[in-house]
Amino acid sequence: MAKLLLIEDDKETADEIRAELSDRGYEVDWAANGIEGLDKARSGAEEAMIIDRLLPGMDGLTIIEALRHEGVRTPVLVLSALGAVDDRVRGLRAGGDDYLTKPFATVELVARIEALLRRPAENRDTVLRVGPLELDLIQRTAKRGDRSINLLPREFRLLDYMMRRKEQMLTRAMLLEEVWNYKFVPQTNLVDVHMGRLRRKVDEPHEPPMIHNVRGVGFILRAPA
Amino acid sequence: MRLPDFARTTTFRWTLTVAGAFVLCTLVLFGFVYWQTAVYMMSKYDVLLIEELRVFASNTPERRLEEIQDRLSKDPHRNKIAGLFGADGRRIAGNMESLPPGLAPGVPTNAVVVRVDSGGREMQKVRLAASPLLSSETLVIGRNVDEIAEIAEIVLRALALGLVPALGLAVVIGIVLSSRAHDRLSEVNRRIQRIVAGDLRARLPVHGRNDPFDQLAVSVNRMLGDIEGLIHEIAGVGDDIAHDLRTPLTRVRVRLERGRTRATTLEELRTVVDQSIGGLDQSLAIITALLRIAEIEHSRRLEGFSQVQLAPLVREVGDLYDPIAEDKHVTLRVEAAEDATVHGDRDLLFEAVANLVDNAVKFTPEGGRVELALLRHEGQTVIRVKDTGPGIPANEREAVTKRFYRSDKSRRTEGLGLGLSLVAAIVKLHEFRLTISSGPGCTAEIACPQVN
Repeated sequence: MAKLLLIEDDKETADEIRAELSDRGYEVDWAANGIEGLDKARSGAEEAMIIDRLLPGMDGLTIIEALRHEGVRTPVLVLSALGAVDDRVRGLRAGGDDYLTKPFATVELVARIEALLRRPAENRDTVLRVGPLELDLIQRTAKRGDRSINLLPREFRLLDYMMRRKEQMLTRAMLLEEVWNYKFVPQTNLVDVHMGRLRRKVDEPHEPPMIHNVRGVGFILRAPA
Repeated sequence: MRLPDFARTTTFRWTLTVAGAFVLCTLVLFGFVYWQTAVYMMSKYDVLLIEELRVFASNTPERRLEEIQDRLSKDPHRNKIAGLFGADGRRIAGNMESLPPGLAPGVPTNAVVVRVDSGGREMQKVRLAASPLLSSETLVIGRNVDEIAEIAEIVLRALALGLVPALGLAVVIGIVLSSRAHDRLSEVNRRIQRIVAGDLRARLPVHGRNDPFDQLAVSVNRMLGDIEGLIHEIAGVGDDIAHDLRTPLTRVRVRLERGRTRATTLEELRTVVDQSIGGLDQSLAIITALLRIAEIEHSRRLEGFSQVQLAPLVREVGDLYDPIAEDKHVTLRVEAAEDATVHGDRDLLFEAVANLVDNAVKFTPEGGRVELALLRHEGQTVIRVKDTGPGIPANEREAVTKRFYRSDKSRRTEGLGLGLSLVAAIVKLHEFRLTISSGPGCTAEIACPQVN
């Protein structure tokens, strides 16, 4: 299973994160400060890193910048108690791949790590396929088997995103950020409503479901067994 | 040795420098005056001497002797001098003891000669002019130039009389001014110490003279006012957080406590835990929303502003809320025929419009209608969100844009009550205007001044 590096100075938080990730089969190496973390990160043995922003004696962003400068391309999830939009932008600009604000739900953390590990390769195909589902990016049409699906542009965009990340847990926050480019949490359950629409079109009552709602976490698109 | 306090101040040092420069300028000026006067008088003497010499030389020898005698006799101040010398240098007439060497004919020269007359012998500094005569004699006439030395003395005396008191005055004024400046600075310093010690209401003294000190004090006071406001704001945010978190947290606490004693199955306990996590999430959302409002209210994001096209933005919001309205059986109509461009932050404006629509859809009962429109009204671009909900009573309209306010009737609808506060903060940041009017239904308008 994948090896991860966690750079986090608070031992309790680190223990929780490690326990959760080990339960899911990850091997997590832990560094409590920036210098140790930087040393471990340089080895490049990890497949992804989780770096806290506020570390004793060093900003997490400094570590990321140093690593990127040295050519280490390991994907990084930045953790921070700083939640302002500007902080997020700065985190991503420094070379972080994703940004998660504390406090967070552990499922959110796990979903984002998985997303980092399985980032969709640069795909030049013009037709996406998941099981019987087909999405033609040129014709802007969708089909499930022989049944053609009539999608609104916003539904097309959502399905496109999900098909590139099939069998991956997609949390509401991830969908808001990536599909709708939303930088804030709306009061209404926007994602659920939009997902509900898409689901009714993709999964008809007699068909085995492809879009799965994982209660309290998010959604997964999966080819029927 | 320690200098007295005022002597170490910058203003006093400046005073001294200025006084020094003043002395130097005065000296140069007086020197110049003396020099010019001396040159002028000398050239005037020279013209007179040459003229006299010419007159004497043109006379007959007898007449010349008379003239010489005449010249010397009419000289009560003993300034004039003359001499007629033979070819062998012997004195024939006049009051000069001997012929000074090195006299060029017709060229006035300085010399020291011995004057001989009824008063006895006397050394005098004189200006002389000589002329050889046909009879191989030499005629010399001259004039005492001690007068010029006297002028130098007068100039020096004037200098002493004027300069010394002026210099003294400059130093005294310098001491007075610098000690006054010093007093004001120490007063400012004392006030600052008080502020540092925690007295946030203290301000720097303003004397109402509108001098640079006053201007500085006014600027600093304005800054202090802003800082005090911000600190109260932060304290206010803290109070809000404390107040509004207490309710959900108390609920979570009660729930957990009851769950612990009452739950008999794992399933029941799980339900309690799930509810508690929901309560905690709600508390965290409140903190996030409050911090976000504070972030926007005190934002420096103006730098990140750019031209924002409103029609696509409005349509996008409509697109986002269309299915939500439909699920609630509320008709959402979007109208953005005419485009307009404003200077702003697109993400924030999107958030503001989305919040208004969110609210409108939420508060409109089933079968109602929400209209989102971008229109031109009285020369302004207006984004209008109109619904057929219960509306907001007039006396509560301003309160709804304050944090955490929720009109009592709507308390059964979920939501944090922060939506309109956020909108108000965003609109204020853009210097747009938010108006909320009621009846029937509720109408919220964001009015933006047009950019070309």
